[in-house]
Amino acid sequence: MSEHANNSADSTTIKTTPDDHLVAWLAALAITIHIIESVLPSPLPGVKPGLANVITIAVFILYGWRTAVWVSMLRVLVGSILIGTFLSPTFMLSFSGAIASLAVLWLASHLPGAGLGPIGLCLVAAMAHMFGQFYTAYLLFIPHDGLFKLLPLLMTAAVIFGIISGIIVRSMLHHLGKRHGQEK
Amino acid sequence: MTRADYCVVLFAALLLPYLYITQWTGNESGITASIMSGSSTTQLSLAHDHTVEVAGTLGTSVIKIEGGKIRFVTAPCLGKQCIHSGWLQHAGEFAACLPNRISIAVLGETPRFDSINF
Repeated sequence: MSEHANNSADSTTIKTTPDDHLVAWLAALAITIHIIESVLPSPLPGVKPGLANVITIAVFILYGWRTAVWVSMLRVLVGSILIGTFLSPTFMLSFSGAIASLAVLWLASHLPGAGLGPIGLCLVAAMAHMFGQFYTAYLLFIPHDGLFKLLPLLMTAAVIFGIISGIIVRSMLHHLGKRHGQEK
Repeated sequence: MTRADYCVVLFAALLLPYLYITQWTGNESGITASIMSGSSTTQLSLAHDHTVEVAGTLGTSVIKIEGGKIRFVTAPCLGKQCIHSGWLQHAGEFAACLPNRISIAVLGETPRFDSINF
C-alpha cells in the first residue's frame, strides 16, 4: 500500500518537514476553536471571546512569530471556508484583525529587555485585532461616523477578552512546562 | 507579569476612559438648525432638547428639538405642510411654512446639495 502510494505519487509528493506538521496540528486546533466560537451567539457584531487567538499567542511564545503567522492565517482562511464566510464581510473583518494583531506581535517580538508576557501579548493582540477590524468595517462597510459610538464598547470587550485569554495562555504554558519537566 | 505587561495594561486602562469620553460625550454641536422667520435668522444646536416658539406673519409656530431632530409641532397656517414635513435630522433637510414665513434648515459641517438636476 505504501509502496503503491510512493510509486504513483513520485512526481506529486510534497516533502513535508516536521515544522509543517507542527503548523498543521496547531492550525487545526485553532480552526476547531474558531468554528466552535462562530456558533456562539454574540451580543454585538464584532464581539467574540477570540479564544482561537489563545493558540496564536501560545504559538508565538513557543515557536516564534513566523509560525504564529502561518497558524493565524491558516485559521482565518480554512475557518472561513469551513463556515462558509470566505471573502464575505465577516472574513474581511477576521482577516484584517488577524493582520493587525500579527503586525503588533511582530513589533512586540522586537521589544528590548524582557518584553511582553502572555497577558501583555494577548492584550495588545486583542486590541490591535479590534482596531484592525473596526477600521476595515469603517472603511469598507459602514463609512458612517456613528460607528465610532461603538468603539468604546468593542474596545472594552477586546480588553476584557484579551486579559482572559492571556490568563488562559499563561496557565497553558505553565502546564506545558510542568509536563515537559516531568518527562525530563 | 513583566514590566512591559504592566505598561500594556496601564495603556488599556487609560485608553478605555479616553474612548468613552471622546466618543460618548455629546460633541454634536456640529449639527445645528437655522430657523428663518421673515428676514431674521436664528441658529440653534440640535444637541439639547427643547421647544421654541417663533413668531411669524400669521401667528406663532412651535418648533420642537428632540434627540438631534427638529420639527414643526403647531402652526397657524391652513395647509400644515410644515408639520407634515416631519422630523428633520440630516444636514441639508428643509421644512418651510410659507403662509407664516418661517422655515427650518438643518446645517451640518459639510453642506449637501438638496437636489441635483441635469
